[in-house]
Amino acid sequence: MSDELFVVDNLTVTLPTSRGPVDVVKNVSFTVGRDETVGIVGESGSGKSMTALAVLGLLPRGARTSGSVRLDGAELLGRSDRDLRSVRGNAISMVFQDPLSSLNPYYTVGLQIAEMYRTHRGGSRSAARKVAIEALERVHIPDAARRVDHYPHQFSGGMRQRVMIAMALCCSPSLLIADEPTTALDVTVQAQILELLAELQSTTGTGMMFITHDLAVISSIAQRVLVMQSGDPVEYGTAEQVFSDPRHEYTRMLLDAVSRIDDEVLS
Amino acid sequence: MTLLKVQGVTKEFVTRGDGAMARKSTFTAVDDVSFEVELGETLAIVGESGSGKSTTARIAARLLEPTKGSVVFDGQDVTRASGKELATFRNNVQVVFQDPFSSLNPRYTVERIITAPLTYQGIAPANGRRAFTQELMERVGLNPDHCRRYPAQFSGGQAQRIGIARALAVNPKLVICDEAVSALDVSIQAQVLELLMRLQRESGFSYVFIAHDLAVVRQIAQRVAVMNRGRIVEVGTRDQVFGDPQDSYTKTLLAAVPRINPEWDAKRRQAR
Repeated sequence: MSDELFVVDNLTVTLPTSRGPVDVVKNVSFTVGRDETVGIVGESGSGKSMTALAVLGLLPRGARTSGSVRLDGAELLGRSDRDLRSVRGNAISMVFQDPLSSLNPYYTVGLQIAEMYRTHRGGSRSAARKVAIEALERVHIPDAARRVDHYPHQFSGGMRQRVMIAMALCCSPSLLIADEPTTALDVTVQAQILELLAELQSTTGTGMMFITHDLAVISSIAQRVLVMQSGDPVEYGTAEQVFSDPRHEYTRMLLDAVSRIDDEVLS
Repeated sequence: MTLLKVQGVTKEFVTRGDGAMARKSTFTAVDDVSFEVELGETLAIVGESGSGKSTTARIAARLLEPTKGSVVFDGQDVTRASGKELATFRNNVQVVFQDPFSSLNPRYTVERIITAPLTYQGIAPANGRRAFTQELMERVGLNPDHCRRYPAQFSGGQAQRIGIARALAVNPKLVICDEAVSALDVSIQAQVLELLMRLQRESGFSYVFIAHDLAVVRQIAQRVAVMNRGRIVEVGTRDQVFGDPQDSYTKTLLAAVPRINPEWDAKRRQAR
């Protein structure tokens, strides 16, 4: 086993619909190395989020999968929900687009981070609380010892996303799946969160699967890129290759759409 | 000719503070904002969430009344206009909203949606509602045969075109676009922007274009106003604001925009 931490091999996801089964992800393959960020980019309906959900066994009921998804050599597809529960949040964790709807408004952020930690690692409440404070410090939330007792609504959007990242990283996962983690944020806040993710990755060595519709964001954070269109993987390569010498018509069209808007912008 | 003149507009909202015993306090969403829009031009107002750009747009559209200041349209002070005066104003100023689906009545057909502004104004189109609708649908790039369909039967980009067609139904002099392309995928976004620009060339109306996306603003606007915390911190031509920003917040905002690695992008363009 080389550096390939995470391997997705020929993954196909089929969802039942009123008009019969539809392949929403078709034969997708990619790998994520330790320390590496792979960007998955596509427009709405391209299957990028379904790919992430399939990895974690979080697909809607009735969905069927085929192919193989391996973390550190261990197969994840087809494992029972109970089995996967020990993987989710532990070996693989996920950060979603909207931090407000993924945090429970009734509990303090400290309790929510501690719950995640104790579920996987056990230990006392006071130890978990310490972990929560450290986790908040790691994502640069000022005054973490006090903020740990605050509720989600007391944080700004950017700070809430930091809380989500703190929670995702508290069990030191080997793979982090970030699904549009900066899409809901203002551009200045987005820049801070991207910087934070890159910084945390360089200190922890976590592999990252970064899902977004934003090509410019991908260009700044990913080493490898997979472009998806209506469930098909249309292009896969190093970021440099995909951005400087795209092979597929759709990738070219996407890049043109961005740079036409971007033209001589902010040069 | 100056079409719209917003002068010293301030909008305060009364908020309840934290806790049960908290006293009421006022929050100034827009603070002494002034700008002008010429006939036929596009002024973009950019800013991050909470900057007051949407509140400013709503005041300009007379969907909100300002606490202080005035809105002058076509030489008429419309700040406190009502009745017939307000109806005339609404005939001239239309709004396109961010989310096409929540701004279109799901139980109305496209025909009913597009002709609604006429209905409210009590105007009957000379060539009949059907022909009127179909003509507008064609202008915004929709299949006129679909005029009996409902919003849910359209994609996001198409639904936004319906919203645009509705705005154009009364032949407005000013169209206020509040994040009109933000909810759309980038390839669709480019198409809708092109449509907006084409319609302006054809009809010569003005846009006030509210957006947080600087790349989009750069493409469509002739002049740009940058808002931060309720104030306009910088206003100028597009090239001034993007090429030589003066205000420190504008500079921060421009620097934060993610962009495709310029080396890669240059290489790709060369190869073509």
